[in-house]
Amino acid sequence: MSGQPLRIMVIDDENIVGKRLKPALEKTGDIVETFMEGETALARFEQEPFDIVVTDIRMEKIDGIEILEQILATSQRTKVIIITGYATVEIAREALSKGAFDFIAKPFKPADLRAIIERASKELRS
Amino acid sequence: MTILEKLKKISHKEPGIRHFCIQTIRFKKFLENARGLLDLFDDGSEKVLGEYIFDRHYVVSLIDSVVERLGMMVYDACVLVPKSGEGLYAAYDEHKFTAGNLINANGSGKSGSIALDTSGSLEPEYQLLSDVLQWFNGKDTPDEPTVMGFMKQIFLSVIQFDAIGGLEAMDVVKTRTRALLGNSGVAASDMGIYLVDLWKDAQALPKEKRSINDFNSIPLKHLLMDISGIDAKDRLNRMNKGINWVAAVSEYQLSLNSLKPDFQFRLETLASGYEQSDFIFIFADKSAILDKILPAGFHIESTDYGQFAWNLDMSAKNIEDSLMIIGRSLLS
Repeated sequence: MSGQPLRIMVIDDENIVGKRLKPALEKTGDIVETFMEGETALARFEQEPFDIVVTDIRMEKIDGIEILEQILATSQRTKVIIITGYATVEIAREALSKGAFDFIAKPFKPADLRAIIERASKELRS
Repeated sequence: MTILEKLKKISHKEPGIRHFCIQTIRFKKFLENARGLLDLFDDGSEKVLGEYIFDRHYVVSLIDSVVERLGMMVYDACVLVPKSGEGLYAAYDEHKFTAGNLINANGSGKSGSIALDTSGSLEPEYQLLSDVLQWFNGKDTPDEPTVMGFMKQIFLSVIQFDAIGGLEAMDVVKTRTRALLGNSGVAASDMGIYLVDLWKDAQALPKEKRSINDFNSIPLKHLLMDISGIDAKDRLNRMNKGINWVAAVSEYQLSLNSLKPDFQFRLETLASGYEQSDFIFIFADKSAILDKILPAGFHIESTDYGQFAWNLDMSAKNIEDSLMIIGRSLLS
């Protein structure tokens, strides 16, 4: 898939995250879809898998861990990156043990997330 | 004889010294909390520039942290100056109320004085963070007091008292120490500095005598590093001037206080080698020419009462060089 744009899904119940991440990640030509609810995002994933899923860990209906499990159950090749808040490093570790590719703590710079996505992209291509 | 051996220790049996140590240690905590507040402000200021992605939870956490730190600072001030408690806690309650309003305002732009961006709108999280920073360090008015303004008020409460009550405590230290030194036949220090072991003398009253070698303080060594070459004539002059300083020390800490009635000067420093926590803080008379005493890089703020100066996040080399320059300026 070298040269092909990545398909990236962003899930966060805080509107500002998707709103700011989408243009930042699209700058490099990748295709980005944003969701504020886990259920809608999973339904979309069922229709069409994504290369990379970036999801917040704390959301009301379905949390990031559940999303991680369902995504990997559907598509093992998908790289899931977890967004954590301040005091959720322990949960992030749990996510890693369950197969998450990496995690990033809020607040973060889009460039920091981009660096993780590039690592994930290399693994997808190898 | 090394430079440290030229300093004279104070008896740790004196209750006045224990009180002095406790006050000094509490003042350190007070500075730590003030610094924590400045760090929070810096963090928020960095995030609001637009480069970061954050959510409302971050801003609410920031507000909670500011309120918590401010409360710790007020508590420290009340321990140092009990009579200031009522006024400071009343002002603190107002800030807690403001913080609650900010959170409940949902980032809708409580403060009309905040400029909107060119598109005419700010995202709610950015608006809320802007409001928080305005509360922290905007224009300080009686109707909308800022956290920074309150911090200055707390500082002045502590420093003003310290300059009176603190000096009285040090006078006790000085008088009793002179008596003790006189009884033991020890001559006055030729460096004009008395030493107090911050932790040992504050926490326990050991009966055994301790050697001057027990005082192992990295910042004090830095302070004295550049004045070891003073010639005999100068030393004699200094001896004639008597005891001018009390230095409360631990391995990584130094609290240097002037005993001269006509020269208020207080230096607090932590030189642990951990850059994120090391600092130098100074309070001095309005008459002190800090530009000549301090090396470059210090933030200096003048008030009606005196001058504050500080340098934060200092590398080990920077602390060493700075203390050496300050020591040379003050003690040579």
